[in-house]
Amino acid sequence: MTSVPHEPPAPSAPLERRGIRLGDVLFQGVSVAAALVATGLLVLIAYKVIAQAWPAIKHFGLQFLWREAWNPVTEQFGALTFIYGTVVTAAIALLLATPLSLAIALFLTEMAPRKLAAPIATMVELLAAIPSVVLGLWGILVFGPWVAQHLEPWLQSSLGFLPIFSGDPSQAGILPAALILTIMIVPITSAICRELFVRTPRDLMDGAMALGSTRWEAIRRVMFAYAAPGISAAVLLGLGRAFGEAIAVTQVVGGFDSINRSLFHPGDTLASRIASQYQGATSELQVGSILYLAAILMVISLMTNLAAQFIVRRFEKARRAV
Amino acid sequence: MKRALTLMLALASMVAIAVVAGRAEAAPAQKTDTSITGTGATFPFPLISKWIPAVGSAYGINVTYSPTGSGAGIAGVTARTVDFGASDAPLSADQLAACKGCVVIPWALSATSVPYNLPGLNGRLRLDGPTLANIYLGKITKWNDAAVKALNPKLNLPDTKITPVYRSDGSGTTYNFTEYLSSVSAEFKGKVGNNTSVSWPTGIGARGSSGVAGVVSKTEGALSYVDVAYSIKNQFQFATIKNRAGKFATPGLRGINAALSQLPKKVTQLSQLKIVDPPKSAGPLAYPIVTFTYVIVPTGSQKAAELRKFIYWAVTQGQKFGPALLFQPLPQPVQAFAFREIKKIQAST
Repeated sequence: MTSVPHEPPAPSAPLERRGIRLGDVLFQGVSVAAALVATGLLVLIAYKVIAQAWPAIKHFGLQFLWREAWNPVTEQFGALTFIYGTVVTAAIALLLATPLSLAIALFLTEMAPRKLAAPIATMVELLAAIPSVVLGLWGILVFGPWVAQHLEPWLQSSLGFLPIFSGDPSQAGILPAALILTIMIVPITSAICRELFVRTPRDLMDGAMALGSTRWEAIRRVMFAYAAPGISAAVLLGLGRAFGEAIAVTQVVGGFDSINRSLFHPGDTLASRIASQYQGATSELQVGSILYLAAILMVISLMTNLAAQFIVRRFEKARRAV
Repeated sequence: MKRALTLMLALASMVAIAVVAGRAEAAPAQKTDTSITGTGATFPFPLISKWIPAVGSAYGINVTYSPTGSGAGIAGVTARTVDFGASDAPLSADQLAACKGCVVIPWALSATSVPYNLPGLNGRLRLDGPTLANIYLGKITKWNDAAVKALNPKLNLPDTKITPVYRSDGSGTTYNFTEYLSSVSAEFKGKVGNNTSVSWPTGIGARGSSGVAGVVSKTEGALSYVDVAYSIKNQFQFATIKNRAGKFATPGLRGINAALSQLPKKVTQLSQLKIVDPPKSAGPLAYPIVTFTYVIVPTGSQKAAELRKFIYWAVTQGQKFGPALLFQPLPQPVQAFAFREIKKIQAST
């Protein structure tokens, strides 16, 4: 196509011909407004949470973070049990969900026959569509009892010397909660990993195989390395979900307010305690303490998010250096 | 560019219409004078559901009630987002202060049962206050413990672990149960205390009556506390509890009625409505874990007239719906107290 020499329009010409398009301006305005609203909302929420938590922050100070108590009668509150519960359930869920998701994604992209891959992929994603409440109910009625009657005794008989598998099996506890969280994380993480694996440049894989590596070596050294930033982002996305999950966890975690060395024993997490106690709080200090827990949860989520961005950026830098 | 502009125009006009329509909707909804809204405890919900159509046809007042929990009921009426709140537990001092001029009126009366899961037991379980307290303190851990055996000499109690289950969310039933246990066991009172939500030394927490029911039904050897109507509706086996007269009482209407005999002839304060752990004089039928359930109303309200009519009807004619649902009709001293409190609800200026 031949290009016609373009002359700058006269200053008195209408806006469009001057190069300023009304649509662009409006769109830019709306986008900026939306971004500002989102940021403003974050600041507003953080402010409101801290403002309402202030009576507890003033009363307990930073000691709240390593106090193991939750007694509405004597008004002694502390977050340690719940920080422990949140970190442990999320860690276990992550430890179990990551290899599982990678395996599912690998199976679906590399090993499954085409016709099988699509329905299995859909079903894994449908797992994410199950509402948390339903998962929690299933946890209490089906999964919890199964864990208490089969999984926990088996763990105790084979690895019972470990303190984390000591104590009586219980259908509500840290372990069932962590397993439910695993079920919630796997669909998200495996879906993202699958997308990443599909996008690995074919010629990189072909090159590796041409140089004599086995299938598994090619996958490990090329595909995983290429997808590493994305995988870490996916894992951290799952972690975010694990931290914030309240309803399903509160059904199966057992609502206990001190730390026990056994994973079988009931415990509680930050989100779960907030969800179960907020509406029934009988004193201003209790309300403040619950919101203090909310503030702590927000800080943990924020730190996780920042860590995620940092890791992704590190991987990106490393990859660009290649 | 034209398409972008038209799209944006369409969006803007939709937003404008929504805003205008929203404003127009909101205004009339507030002015409907014959409708009142309430929220709160799930415990009286079956009874309130029976009241709603009856009050509607008697006075033309449209009542809506959503069972979201005692805590939500208290919070709702404190924030004045609803016209009345319902709670199984009386308000704490802090809550009363926060409510800024609310009256608390008892409007129904029922009992807390103790369901258990012991398949294959050849009879009904009998328990007493101190034993229950020790179970929940973690001092009695097996069903064939000497203390439990002593109360049930004829039963084949198994060597199963006792799993006490409690409510992890704030609950009026917890308040009633802990009030009873604190009354019969000084150790329980010191270690745990009495509140809608306490720090339990042992056991499993479950969310809501349905959560508790789920855990108890799936865990052999589990024991819990739940209101008697719920137990019966879900066909749980619940224990008989020993009263001060030395007899094992059931949480039926006669048991509840007998427990009321300790009420003074004239009730002037809410604190006089403590009916757990009735004394020996209450008789052999008295069930020890009985509770009132309350409606909380602001003393200055735009719906004062409707609220007065509704609550007056509820504590008089509404009580006849109670027995079928295991709510004992209010005794006369409590009704009189309710009438006096209802008078305090005045129209706000």
